[in-house]
Amino acid sequence: MLGTERTPGVISFSEGCADSGSRAPSFNFSQQSPASFFTLGLPQRLGLLLLLFSLEWIPLSNLVHKNRGAGIFCQIGIASASIFLALGYATAASAFRQISADLRKASIGWWYLAGHAVALCGFITLSFLAASDSLASATAWYAAGLLSVAFGVSAFLPPNSVSRLIRSAGYSWLLALVGGIAASRLVAAFPLWNGRIWNPALDLYWKPAVDLTFRIVEVLLHLVLPVVVADRSTMTIGSPGFYVTILPWCAGFEGTALMVVFGVAWLWFLRHEYRFPQALLLIPAGMAVMWLSNAVRITALILIGVAGAPGVAIGGFHSQAGWIAFNCVALGFVLASRRIPWLMKTPVATRALSPGASHNPAAAYLTPFLAILAAAMISRAASAGFEWLYPLRFAAAGIALWFFRAKYKELDWHFGLPSVLAGIAVFAMWLGLDSLSGAHPDSLIASGLGALPVPARVGWLVIRTAAAVVTVPIAEELAFRGFLIRRLLGADFESLSPRAYTLWPVVLSSLAFGLMHGDRWLAGTMAGACYAFAFLRRGRIGDAVVAHATTNALLAVWVLTSGRWYLW
Amino acid sequence: MNRVVGMMLLLVGASAFAFGTAVPEIDPGSGANALALISGVLLIARGRRNK
Repeated sequence: MLGTERTPGVISFSEGCADSGSRAPSFNFSQQSPASFFTLGLPQRLGLLLLLFSLEWIPLSNLVHKNRGAGIFCQIGIASASIFLALGYATAASAFRQISADLRKASIGWWYLAGHAVALCGFITLSFLAASDSLASATAWYAAGLLSVAFGVSAFLPPNSVSRLIRSAGYSWLLALVGGIAASRLVAAFPLWNGRIWNPALDLYWKPAVDLTFRIVEVLLHLVLPVVVADRSTMTIGSPGFYVTILPWCAGFEGTALMVVFGVAWLWFLRHEYRFPQALLLIPAGMAVMWLSNAVRITALILIGVAGAPGVAIGGFHSQAGWIAFNCVALGFVLASRRIPWLMKTPVATRALSPGASHNPAAAYLTPFLAILAAAMISRAASAGFEWLYPLRFAAAGIALWFFRAKYKELDWHFGLPSVLAGIAVFAMWLGLDSLSGAHPDSLIASGLGALPVPARVGWLVIRTAAAVVTVPIAEELAFRGFLIRRLLGADFESLSPRAYTLWPVVLSSLAFGLMHGDRWLAGTMAGACYAFAFLRRGRIGDAVVAHATTNALLAVWVLTSGRWYLW
Repeated sequence: MNRVVGMMLLLVGASAFAFGTAVPEIDPGSGANALALISGVLLIARGRRNK
């Protein structure tokens, strides 16, 4: 473990914890006590309510199968509430803000919450006991469900506040109800997700653009391959031994559309830094480069297949190269444009700070995590299912951590027993939610490992375990707890005491952490919240890292002993 | 920071809408990682400050 060496002028986590910032004038949030964590306005309460109902949804959706049409009412309720909040805020923003301010003075309705739990238990019990589909049993079942929802809402939004919200927003409730019913019926009649309302893959289809992609790929292939097979009638292209069909939705529309969104958003948010109208040229330029990069992606895919790795070409490379291209083009778009005086009011090149006069505190916290993400994209792109190049992630994180090692000596890496216990609790929660979800996708790890010689197999497992227990916890805790929680509080995040947290940074950073875990986003979010509290309890990054490492170590043991590779 | 977060929300929203139907040009399953990567690099790029 690294020590807690102190550097003059640098406030370590442990210092912020020890005096709660009272001696350090640079602690902008030092006057906040941890009690302020529980001052909840309207947005925070809605967020908590959403979280509560989401947490309950997973077991309920697996346990309760009554087919009594309650799902339609849920859809209508969610859609109506969303429309009401949007309409209401648009028409009575000041009233909403006042209600939110008043709510900050009120506590959570714990008795309502208890009532919610009791009603929910009744609802679940009736789901199992009421075997008959009689009117009485259905009525009791619906009543318990409605009561549970009503108590849950009342716990976070007192009835008088709900009444004030409805009254202040005029007839928004009526419009919301009509809109909710209409949306529910519309989705039922025209499911959005099967493309019957709007399918970007088909609706964005434009033959000349697809032909252009085909033509570029053909030209690029002729530069490399001696014989190119190209049939424009079927859009088939490649070599005699390996060829692909360029479907309309592979032609570059998605990446280009994403680039437009990125470009417009970037220029809008930084509109005070760019010169207009010339900065608008960046958007078509970005689109053109993105389109070209997609043609390069298809060319590379064909070449990988021709070179004898069709599995990699169609598997990992096919799915990852699009994002790699978007990241490269978008970052190039940003970094290049900020150095061109014609586009920027104050280009970076002219305001560059000398290395001795400036520092970049975010880099030490984020680089290891970003190195893992970048390495993951590359290693997945080079795989045909089994990620044989996983050690690249370990190496990338190790190099980044080594590069910033001097910075990490300033942090407090001590930890206590509660962080170990928190890690064990997260492990139990992780397995519990996983068993409830019932989704156990086939993992290609077992078959991939089976195809490797024994030394390579052992080496891969050792590095995979070391990454899970060492580099991943350090990198992720530095990014999500060490950086993000405090960065959401203020730009000068290093001067902020970890003890001066409020609810939103914890919720947002935990959600972001959860989203990084794909289908296990809920377990990830809850794990992130546990690690956040381990970190914030005493303001030590060591506590969060050890809690995380404990979870991952137990998961590694579980995976290795039970063969449940899908947990990796 | 708010700008970067706002941008990422826009991107997530746009990509979620666009990728309602999974199409292979850009894999929706890798979206969170890719957006986190680009957000992090942008945060570092804008994070340099005077000592």
